[in-house]
Amino acid sequence: MSKGGRGLYLGLLILGLVVFIQGTLFSRVRVLGVGANLLLVTVVCWSLTRNVQEGLVWAFAGGLGIDLVSGLPLGTSSLALMPTCFLAGIGRSSIYAQNLFWPLLLVVLATPLYGWLVLLTQQMRGVPVDWLGSTVRIVLPELAPNLAITLPVYPGLRWLAGRIGVPVMDV
Amino acid sequence: MTRVSGRTTLFFILAGISIALLILSSSGQMAPIESAASVVTRPFLAAFNAVGQRLSQVAQTVGELNTLRSLNQQLKSRVDTLTIDNLRLTEVEAENQQLRDLLRFKQLNPTYDYRGGQIIARVISQAETNYLSSLSIDLGSEQGIARGMPVVNEQGLIGRIDKVGPHSSTVLLIIDPSSGVQALVKRNRAVGVVNGRAGALPVMEYIPMDADISVGDEVITSGLGGAFPKNVAIGQVIEVIRHDYDMYQQAVIRPTANFMRLEFVLVITNFKPLPGQPAELESVG
Repeated sequence: MSKGGRGLYLGLLILGLVVFIQGTLFSRVRVLGVGANLLLVTVVCWSLTRNVQEGLVWAFAGGLGIDLVSGLPLGTSSLALMPTCFLAGIGRSSIYAQNLFWPLLLVVLATPLYGWLVLLTQQMRGVPVDWLGSTVRIVLPELAPNLAITLPVYPGLRWLAGRIGVPVMDV
Repeated sequence: MTRVSGRTTLFFILAGISIALLILSSSGQMAPIESAASVVTRPFLAAFNAVGQRLSQVAQTVGELNTLRSLNQQLKSRVDTLTIDNLRLTEVEAENQQLRDLLRFKQLNPTYDYRGGQIIARVISQAETNYLSSLSIDLGSEQGIARGMPVVNEQGLIGRIDKVGPHSSTVLLIIDPSSGVQALVKRNRAVGVVNGRAGALPVMEYIPMDADISVGDEVITSGLGGAFPKNVAIGQVIEVIRHDYDMYQQAVIRPTANFMRLEFVLVITNFKPLPGQPAELESVG
């Protein structure tokens, strides 16, 4: 099997695992009243490790997966996840991209971006949204568990990316 | 002419598909696909959820180790007291049996609010995102589950069936921000609406200012609006919010049900919500 094909199947396998872990294990472990968003952290780290295009595909597919198991309308999570890949694109050109500090910073930026985009999507669908309350009680507290899981997730994905092969350069 | 990069093109293509899916899903046209997906994912969710429950229990036990040690000492000293109490409880047991008979009579009484049409469902996953308070159960349309059916457990009201697949369903919990339950305070029958809040305990709103509400009051469903049966326990008042400039007072409610520890729930299948009930919206804060 070609490296591209192997990478595709591996990616789908990882995404499937991430979606199920997110939907079952991580929903039970709560820090400051919220659970970690494993899918968001995975997408950001993968975009940083590989490239934005792959990150976008992971965000799209993973978002659909999490919507299917969580009951959110299809497309909600994908729409909120995909813009976070571009943040990682900025990070890739940085000299600090190999440093663990950089994914942590990106997760700090991506977490509220994702949260507010989910809220925006819901508001556009006519659901009443308490922006301040949701920001204080969900979006900001989510930073803590997300940062905590970035520490093992980023090195793990870097190792995996290294096994797959040289990443395609961003266009 | 400005050159559009490959990743920007990809983004717009995927975003376009996502928006199309969002529109179709919101209007219910993706229901067959979502149902089919629920059939495929159900066994995986159940398996992962079982592991999650085990890990959660282990983590909780480790976290409570110190507390358990001191608790053990206290419990040992209480054993003696309880031995004496045990004798008294033998008499209470007889009384309890009489009360059970009364309760059975009440359950068979036609005027009782939920009349036995309940199905026990196993919770297969819950609260997958921080933006939606829901859980999945292992019963669907094949078992007679339909959208809008109330879901309870022995502790009280859990929520309402929101999405139905052939063999699994999604329950929108009463703590979700899009959930509203017509309720009343058991002690003085003051009415209000219990609304969920993102990341916080639900709050009972629209309580008249002249109603005497205090901490500890029990809140139950009122049955008004016809979305839920009457007299199902919702929770207990833990804080009363009253401002002179407001038309209504509010009460923060601690639900009787522990939503993080749900394993089995009852779906009331013979309760018919009144027509014209607003469709439940998906969550968020």
